[in-house]
Amino acid sequence: MSPFFFYLFAAILIFASLCVILARNPLYNVLSLVVAIFSLSCIFVTLEAYFVGMILILVYAGAVLVFFLFVVMCLNLNSITLTSEAQNRFRWLGTFAALMFTFSFVLATKSFIKAQAVDISSIRGTIEAIGKILFTDYLLPFELTSLLLLIAIFGIVSLAQGALSTGKDTDNS
Amino acid sequence: MINSTLIWIAFFAPLAACVLITLFFLKCKSSSSLIAIVGILTSFVCACLVFSEIFQTPNSLPLTSYPLPLELQQSLSWINIDGLTINFGFLMNPLAIMMLLIVTGVGSAIFIYSRGYMQEDPSSPRFFAYLSLFAFSMIGIVLSNNFIQLFIFWELVGLSSYLLIGFWYAKPSAADAGVKAFIVNRLSDFGFLCGIIMLWGVSGINGSARSFQFTDLINVIPSIDPHTLTIIALLLFCGVIGKSAQIPLHVWLIDAMEGPTPVSALIHAATMVAAGIYLLARTFFIFEPSPTALTFIAFTGAITSLMAAILAVAENDIKRILAYSTLSQLGLMVMALGLGGPMQGMYHLTTHAFFKALLFLGAGSVIYALHHEQNIWKMQGLLKKMPITGMTFLIGTLALCGIFPLSGFWSKDAILSLAFENNTLLYLIAATASGLTAFYMGRLFFVVFWGKAPKTKAHHGAHGHEIHESPAVMTLPLIFLAILSAIGGFIGIPHLLFPQEAPETLNMTVAVISSIVAVLGLGFSYMLYGKRPVNDPLVTKLGGFYTVLQNKFYFDAAYAWYVDNIQQNVALSLSQIEKVILDRAIIGGLSNLAHASGKVFRYLQNGIVQFYAMVFVLGVVLLYLFLSHSFALIFALGIIPLFLFLMFS
Amino acid sequence: MITLGSYLALSGVIFSIGLVGVMTSRNVLKVLLSLELLLAASNLSFVSFSKFNGDYAGQLIVFFVILVAAAEVAIGLAIVVLMYRRLSTIQADELRTMKW
Repeated sequence: MSPFFFYLFAAILIFASLCVILARNPLYNVLSLVVAIFSLSCIFVTLEAYFVGMILILVYAGAVLVFFLFVVMCLNLNSITLTSEAQNRFRWLGTFAALMFTFSFVLATKSFIKAQAVDISSIRGTIEAIGKILFTDYLLPFELTSLLLLIAIFGIVSLAQGALSTGKDTDNS
Repeated sequence: MINSTLIWIAFFAPLAACVLITLFFLKCKSSSSLIAIVGILTSFVCACLVFSEIFQTPNSLPLTSYPLPLELQQSLSWINIDGLTINFGFLMNPLAIMMLLIVTGVGSAIFIYSRGYMQEDPSSPRFFAYLSLFAFSMIGIVLSNNFIQLFIFWELVGLSSYLLIGFWYAKPSAADAGVKAFIVNRLSDFGFLCGIIMLWGVSGINGSARSFQFTDLINVIPSIDPHTLTIIALLLFCGVIGKSAQIPLHVWLIDAMEGPTPVSALIHAATMVAAGIYLLARTFFIFEPSPTALTFIAFTGAITSLMAAILAVAENDIKRILAYSTLSQLGLMVMALGLGGPMQGMYHLTTHAFFKALLFLGAGSVIYALHHEQNIWKMQGLLKKMPITGMTFLIGTLALCGIFPLSGFWSKDAILSLAFENNTLLYLIAATASGLTAFYMGRLFFVVFWGKAPKTKAHHGAHGHEIHESPAVMTLPLIFLAILSAIGGFIGIPHLLFPQEAPETLNMTVAVISSIVAVLGLGFSYMLYGKRPVNDPLVTKLGGFYTVLQNKFYFDAAYAWYVDNIQQNVALSLSQIEKVILDRAIIGGLSNLAHASGKVFRYLQNGIVQFYAMVFVLGVVLLYLFLSHSFALIFALGIIPLFLFLMFS
Repeated sequence: MITLGSYLALSGVIFSIGLVGVMTSRNVLKVLLSLELLLAASNLSFVSFSKFNGDYAGQLIVFFVILVAAAEVAIGLAIVVLMYRRLSTIQADELRTMKW
């Protein structure tokens, strides 16, 4: 079972990622990313990491990418034709840098290619298992992330403040 | 047993006085002089106590062989790194204690005298601070047990001399004289230092560690090659040439008379200029094996002696005449050392300290009474007005001329006998110089003190007061020194301290000849000056030669020409080199490099965030490749994107 | 057999695609999306290592990464909106006042 599903979802994931960067319409970019997240989540499920798989869909696809869609809709970007804009001057250099990076990555992980099967261990990332660890060993980071979210809220509110009150532009803070 | 604490107290008491005065008493004239006097008297008392301890046990070895049973050495380790050891300590032996007694004894007398002499001067606390500093430095030279410490104090003495000569710094001639003294001394100290370092360099020749200590060097001297030793000896003698004002570096001593008279008495008559002689005696073991060096030293001394005596005849300033006479006597002492007689040289140094200090203080007394008048032709018949000064001055003059039985007779005779027995030419030069000494000292005495004082108003000094004798604080030291000058020959200084040296038999031939020469000189001067002519008859008698004498044999002119024409040009061209090469090429070049590289690298900041991200990624890649794989990959893969982005931007 | 290496290879590919997107996108929204891809790729590698080593730590890290990514996207989009209001465009090249 596992090899077939892995290759299937991997193919979808790669194809969707390519669409994210290559599609013209910003709406298509966002939707491709949604597909990519879905397939990633499926891969997680094949790895028996059920909790993070579901969290990926709920939070990422469900909240973050919807937020992206909001913005795209708000700014009416789906109607902007990006063909009229100038090309990115560094696109070839960027591609080259990414290729270099891939090359180094391959060099770095060469030793893992002949490793054993990945599902050598029998852990299952269920809610119960994750929950036990999260609230005992990793309690501090868990609490700190609430602080992080609070700061994020502050940031957004202050950024948006100027726009809300006067309707005019404010400094990018 | 010699108590070393006493020696350390004697060493540092004047320094403590100097520091005290500088920190707390710079406004109090009376207290500062008292502190200084207490400082030097402490040193004198300690020196006397050590002296009595030394001579409780009979001494049995000659002066110049180390180590003596009567010797005490204590050192603190100062610098101790691989191959270089310098200590700080003292070496006490009969030579050192004698010199210490002279320095502190004559010094105490002069300090007490200065209290009276400088009482009208508003900045006298500074004077006493400098004077105490000088006393400390001089005691340091006397007590040092190694060459580096000696050199440090040598330079300190030079500094104190500069400070004291230029004490009245507002007067341009005094400031210039101070600078001249310091620079001339610096020149000689360069040669001195070269000699010290060279000696240190060869002192490792036996396989022992190299050392600056006298006690170590004396063991090494026999193994040193004679030519090297001669060079070392001559270089060390350079220091003596400057400090003891031999030809050709004598020029500073005459101008040094710009300082206050007690300074002239202490520094430029009794102690500092004698430091060179002391050095020669202390380290005589270096010079002894080298006949070439000794001959050179002897002839330098003799020529200095004669030349100074000739120049003194044409001087009209009382202090300058005495300065020339100091030069002349120093020449005699150097000559004695060059002839292989450290005992004779030190004997004459001792007696010279007594009567020269006396003469200078007497001159100071006269100058003080006449409100700083120094031209002898403006002084007349002072014997009647200032009896104590006059009588003590007479004793000093006779001692200087070498009249029996005063101290000068014995010491000068010792030197002349030495010369007579070893080198007739030197004896003739020395005898001529002695004759001239008698002549010009007679001239000085007759012009200033003899005859009747005129009744004119001009002679009454600036305040219109009648000229009177100086206060007791000034005359008591005079009397003390006069007594020493008179009986100094009888207390048997050499006998006390160098008992193994040549016995005290008098060479009758030499004694008779020198007495006759002295009396002739005095008589001749009485002939010319006894009747106190208004102007100097020598001016007309000597004619053109007198002008040469006035210009001091053109030494000063020669030096001035050299400095103006040669040295200034060299300095200017060197400064040009500095401007072009150092400033423009090297420093300017570096800053231009920084500027230019900045111009190139600022294109990395083009404000486009994605470009920065790209640079990050490339950096990560390069770092990874560099850390885990060979460099070749870097060059192959790293230079290409660099070129690319440079082309793009 | 699916080894750890295959998962890492997949992760690497996704990461590279994401890098290309970040470095060459013309509009900032696409940059942000590509950033999400980068994070997703590292999440994948964490989870696969977690499964391979038998340690839950990897999955917990993924949990926190998702959290942080959410916060970061929120702020990023707020900035994009402000940029659009000011410059009337979302082209990345237009933000270039902080240059030499």
